[in-house]
Amino acid sequence: MFVPHSQLDLNVIFEELNISSLEDLFNHIPDELLIMDGLNVEDSLSELEAAKYFEEIGSKNSSNLICFAGGGHYDVYLPPTVKSLTMRPEFMTSYTPYQAEISQGILQVLFEFQSLVCDITEMELANASLYDGATSVAEAISVAINKTKRDNIIISSGFNPNTKEVVNTLIDTTKFNINYIELSNYLFPDDYEFNEDDAAFVVAFPHYEGSAQDLTELVKKAQSKGVITICYVDPSMLGVLKTPGSMGFDIVVAEGQSIGSTLSFGGPTVGWFATKKSLARLVPGRIIGETIDSNHKKAYVMTLRAREQDIRREKASSNICTNQTLNAIGSAIHLSWMGPEGIFQVGYQAIQKASYMKKELKEKGFIIMNESSSLREFLVQTKQPAAKIISKMGAKGFLAGIQYSDNQLLIALTEKRTKDEIDLYVDTFSEVNNG
Amino acid sequence: MVSGGNASSLPLVGGASEPTIRELSRPGRRSSKYPKLDVPEVEINHPAIKNEKAPLPEVSEHDLVMHYSRLAHRNFAADLGFYPLGSCTMKYNPRFADYIASLDTYSTTHPATPSKFTQGSLEVLHILEQYLTEITGMDFASFQPPAGASGELTGLLIIKKFLNKKNLPNKRDIIVPDSAHGTNPASAKMAGFNVVEVATDERGMVNIENLRSLVNENTAGLMLTNPNTGGLFEEEILTISEIIHSVGGLLYYDGANLNAIVGVCRPGDMGFDIVHSNLHKTFATPHGGGGPGSGPVAVKGYLKEYLPGPIVQKDNDTFNWYTPKYSIGRMHGYHGNFLVALRALVYMKLLGKEGLDTLGSYAVLNARYLSSKVSNYLPLAFKEPCMHEFVATVKYLKKSHKIKAYDVGKALLDKGFHSPTIYFPLIVEEALMFEPTETQTVETLDDLAENIKLIIEELTAPGVNLNDYPKNLPIGRPNELIPAKHLTVHWGDFELLEFTE
Repeated sequence: MFVPHSQLDLNVIFEELNISSLEDLFNHIPDELLIMDGLNVEDSLSELEAAKYFEEIGSKNSSNLICFAGGGHYDVYLPPTVKSLTMRPEFMTSYTPYQAEISQGILQVLFEFQSLVCDITEMELANASLYDGATSVAEAISVAINKTKRDNIIISSGFNPNTKEVVNTLIDTTKFNINYIELSNYLFPDDYEFNEDDAAFVVAFPHYEGSAQDLTELVKKAQSKGVITICYVDPSMLGVLKTPGSMGFDIVVAEGQSIGSTLSFGGPTVGWFATKKSLARLVPGRIIGETIDSNHKKAYVMTLRAREQDIRREKASSNICTNQTLNAIGSAIHLSWMGPEGIFQVGYQAIQKASYMKKELKEKGFIIMNESSSLREFLVQTKQPAAKIISKMGAKGFLAGIQYSDNQLLIALTEKRTKDEIDLYVDTFSEVNNG
Repeated sequence: MVSGGNASSLPLVGGASEPTIRELSRPGRRSSKYPKLDVPEVEINHPAIKNEKAPLPEVSEHDLVMHYSRLAHRNFAADLGFYPLGSCTMKYNPRFADYIASLDTYSTTHPATPSKFTQGSLEVLHILEQYLTEITGMDFASFQPPAGASGELTGLLIIKKFLNKKNLPNKRDIIVPDSAHGTNPASAKMAGFNVVEVATDERGMVNIENLRSLVNENTAGLMLTNPNTGGLFEEEILTISEIIHSVGGLLYYDGANLNAIVGVCRPGDMGFDIVHSNLHKTFATPHGGGGPGSGPVAVKGYLKEYLPGPIVQKDNDTFNWYTPKYSIGRMHGYHGNFLVALRALVYMKLLGKEGLDTLGSYAVLNARYLSSKVSNYLPLAFKEPCMHEFVATVKYLKKSHKIKAYDVGKALLDKGFHSPTIYFPLIVEEALMFEPTETQTVETLDDLAENIKLIIEELTAPGVNLNDYPKNLPIGRPNELIPAKHLTVHWGDFELLEFTE
């Protein structure tokens, strides 16, 4: 399949190579290593059969659950225009743009991606993507460690537990202390004091629990001790949220799924990474720069390549090679499609709908843990085990949220959720909690 | 005349530059429209909220679509022409796999959805694990790593945790061939190991004597790709395996070159303990201009409990997430690049037994044929028969005419081909590394060889200015110093520069 050779072609090739069968290609491989009877796998399927096969397996997913879950991944509207442009084969089937002369398309979109990310976060330099939000947090911490040569990490506990797990995997805990600071009333304690041996202050904006605070003063305090400040931001809220740059952060990272990618069961999505130019030489991953060609024509190239693994090898700023370019392209096109008014609507409507839902839930007698500090996402107390509620709500057609603790559920709203869906959710939620 | 193996009509042409989306922006224009707010609006006073709108471009949808479509026309792609890129396996990516991956039932699932409601997606990973472990000769796999480099790091962290668990913390040396991919030493360093380089012998394979001298009680393991980056099968692999295992080290297989051996032989049978696969290479998922990839890691049974989790486990007829007992932890926020994994399974199902059994053979066949043709015009770096890729050198042309590998690559672009991989492996002077893959026709391979001949004639002619190449593309050679020196990485940066030169 997909091998183009006819018997006539094979005759030509075999003659050129002076062989009579495919097996003759492998005379130099020790016999005991050769597979004798072929692989133990099933026969091939035609596309018609394969479509049926994968549709049938797919039907075992409950795919039409109305999504009230967030935690970093949000059911934001992704227009077909963005999807179809992103999936243009010239983007989708191209290689990494090392050969700039035939890669100006990808290079320019990535340059636009970097610029757009900088503009909406108010930073100076963005890279061309990392794997996802969680790994981006870990990469940012590595930059802080390399910059400060210190070994203490101050990180808010208000992160998706999976993100914390990734940080614990990727940062060597035998060399560095990762200190998780408990939130106080769902906010990072404003009176927290940093030390001269702290490398990084890492905080989510909003916190995983959905609450948000102006972090300007904490950033100032951290920076006065030479600490690198890292903000993990929800990018689909940047139409309404203060920018991390305006709060003074040194590094901004994000899970970029909600801008340009479908939920995709979590992958592929994209990690955003933006910083100040003073940290340029420590940035992980690819960076695209603007330049001119030999005729003074505008051109784009991969730049600051001396940071990367194929050149620096063990001294590289990161081992990352393949990144999430296509999803970054999706982010750029989606941001351009939304424009200032669109991204405002996405954030503003999510907050309004969350306010409405909190009010409705309260009227049904539920307790919202962080009502006033939360924006689009909040914690609600369940009356039965949260896992059980999620299960029962699933049977009724809702992805109710993410289990936060035994009796708390994290609920997220996007601009896509309608009043009718919210009303039906609240009624059903009340029913399954009281039933 | 451009040929590019039937790619004469490539749309990559010169002409003016495409403006940026910001330059196309005009106040008040827009593409997006959202529904009117359907809940009672309340006043929002929150300290985290700003008053001003985000500074994004304002463009009409037609302008937006034209802009990104025109940019697409300024890009080479596997759907347009031939990438003979060594170590990259730029084969045909079946459209059908994209179709399956775009089905709502797979693509719109929130990653925090409980397994009860995602049995289909878990089953996909379970079946793919069976295919992958059968192909590589391993026992269990994790799909957490989102790319090859992440897979490498995963493998090294598994080695580290396994050795710590066995109370062997002094085993700190990871041996890496001097011909290895850059990610190997970078990943080893990231995992906290010392990188020890083993030399390549004159045949182009691991120097066994040198390896013996480097191996001792501190050896944690060896990272190797087989065939190696010279495109040669490491014929002494069983000896290598014995040398490493005899001191309690582990053998790590870098799956970058797996395409050469699918259906031919298996890393598990060669003695490898851990294998990562690049699904975006061997299993034909689109490279996306640099990503997404997927780098699942497969291990022998005794390492299962160290895998990054959660992994899929089948209990009776239900699929569940299982976190291995001594798991190194997560490598990704959720389940890795699931839709990439799904595409890989679609590809495997389309190939089936007959396709997978012969996959490596045809990849090697095409490389052997191309190497035979190219060797008429350029010397090969190694005498041994190549597997799925081979390395040629232009060091003699450099001596005689100052023609570098870089120049040959650039001249090929003009002819409608992507450049082969250049300057890799590092141990070969002025290296050009070719990997045709199994999906290219004989005519295309002939045409590439023919064009190499033409290029050599052209570039060695008197009066040629090598810097003029490529001549017929959207841009000529870019100045790479400006962005590195002035950090022109944002669209405000370049216009601020004042050039004195």
